[in-house]
Amino acid sequence: MKRRVSFLLAVILFLSGCGQTQQETEKKQYTATFLTLFDTVTTIVGKAENEESFQQEAQAIHDQLQEYHQLFDIYQEYEGIANLKTINDKAGIEPVKVDSRIISLLQDCRKIYEVTEGKVNVAMGSVLALWHEARDYGRNNPKEAKLPDKEELDEAAQHVDFEKIIIDEKNSTVYIEDSRIRLDVGAIAKGWSVQQVAEKTREGLLLSVGGNVCATGPKDEKGNPWVVGVENPEGEGDYLHTLYLTKGSIITSGDYQRTYQVEGKMYHHIIDSQTLFPADYWRSVTVLCDDSGIGDALSTALFVMSKEKGQQLLEEYDAEAMWVDGEGKIYYSPGFKKQIRT
Amino acid sequence: MKETLRLSFRKGDLWAIVLVILLALLTVGLWGRKVVSDTAGTVQIYQNNQCIMEYSLFQDALIPVEGEYHNIIQISGGKVAIVESNCPGEDCVHSGWIKSPGRSLVCLPNKVEVRLVGKEDEVDFIVR
Repeated sequence: MKRRVSFLLAVILFLSGCGQTQQETEKKQYTATFLTLFDTVTTIVGKAENEESFQQEAQAIHDQLQEYHQLFDIYQEYEGIANLKTINDKAGIEPVKVDSRIISLLQDCRKIYEVTEGKVNVAMGSVLALWHEARDYGRNNPKEAKLPDKEELDEAAQHVDFEKIIIDEKNSTVYIEDSRIRLDVGAIAKGWSVQQVAEKTREGLLLSVGGNVCATGPKDEKGNPWVVGVENPEGEGDYLHTLYLTKGSIITSGDYQRTYQVEGKMYHHIIDSQTLFPADYWRSVTVLCDDSGIGDALSTALFVMSKEKGQQLLEEYDAEAMWVDGEGKIYYSPGFKKQIRT
Repeated sequence: MKETLRLSFRKGDLWAIVLVILLALLTVGLWGRKVVSDTAGTVQIYQNNQCIMEYSLFQDALIPVEGEYHNIIQISGGKVAIVESNCPGEDCVHSGWIKSPGRSLVCLPNKVEVRLVGKEDEVDFIVR
């Protein structure tokens, strides 16, 4: 009898013990979400000893991203900061002394402008502002939603020459020579900022700002990759694919992001510089790229061009892409499938 | 000798069995309660990155959330949605219903996130 009881006790101890040891040795994965940056959702995922230490780490990343958010904001002023709004407000008036991060962003914008032959042009702010106003008004007053005035769009399109943006690296100033040109870095700033912050952060984190997902290294000490699900825009919660990501970025641009309706028709926010209207080549484009800033620009560029032209552009940067057309048909660049998990 | 070796059912055994069952139930109960907020089936509502409310996905509820705007979150039949909002564009309402762990709904203007706790199919993050 004694022996039997001690055996039972041993079983009980064993059963109750195994759950705990596993909990102690395995770090838990946490997620933090911030809803105040770049007018979109910022998510940070990573493993940590406990929730408190993870929240601290996430907060520090948020604080860094917030600096970029304020520098690249074209709508709001911040005390003691010369940002893109300041540069826009001084267009045709005088050069503005700015933080070196604005200089290096705009230098990268120039490279992208040249490589994409003007398809990604951050000097298109005047055109984008008309769409932004119309969208804001339409979303607040759905019954009175209107498209931007075509004449005004054509007028604004006369003032989009990136060559008129004078970037003086030595004096750290930016001057817009044409008083009607406005900067709008929405096509690149989120990814670019994520990249800057990711480079200074420890391995083992996944950062995302508005669909610009960047892994700073494998998700655990065993070197396992992150698994990122790319949702089907048509489906109810199913995936087009789940992808492996160890280091580098995944960026998706879609015609379902930042939309508004006019007379029952949806209009999205990625404007084709040729037609001055939302681009209608693709439903969505997903780009895989080492650099999140370049990836952000590429996803916009590919969204406003044919697959052939997009493929040429991808090769310049050793990037991969998946295109989804209006019928839901999926196309891949040659190396994309290597990253597919399911 | 023969007598003592025979495996017969004694009163003590019954107590031992009862004890094991009780301990087992207790363990499961405590463990279950401890991880209820860690596992599938929990709806967490965040505002300004703070978890302000927690609900079971399997208990129907209508939850108003006040902020700069006004949201109504509905839990029904193991699914959750933001069913009403006075925010511009109502993107949150158009996001529809979610039911799988790891998914979330966001009302950006009201700074509200509705999160289904847990990971589904080992997907770490979802892009759309």
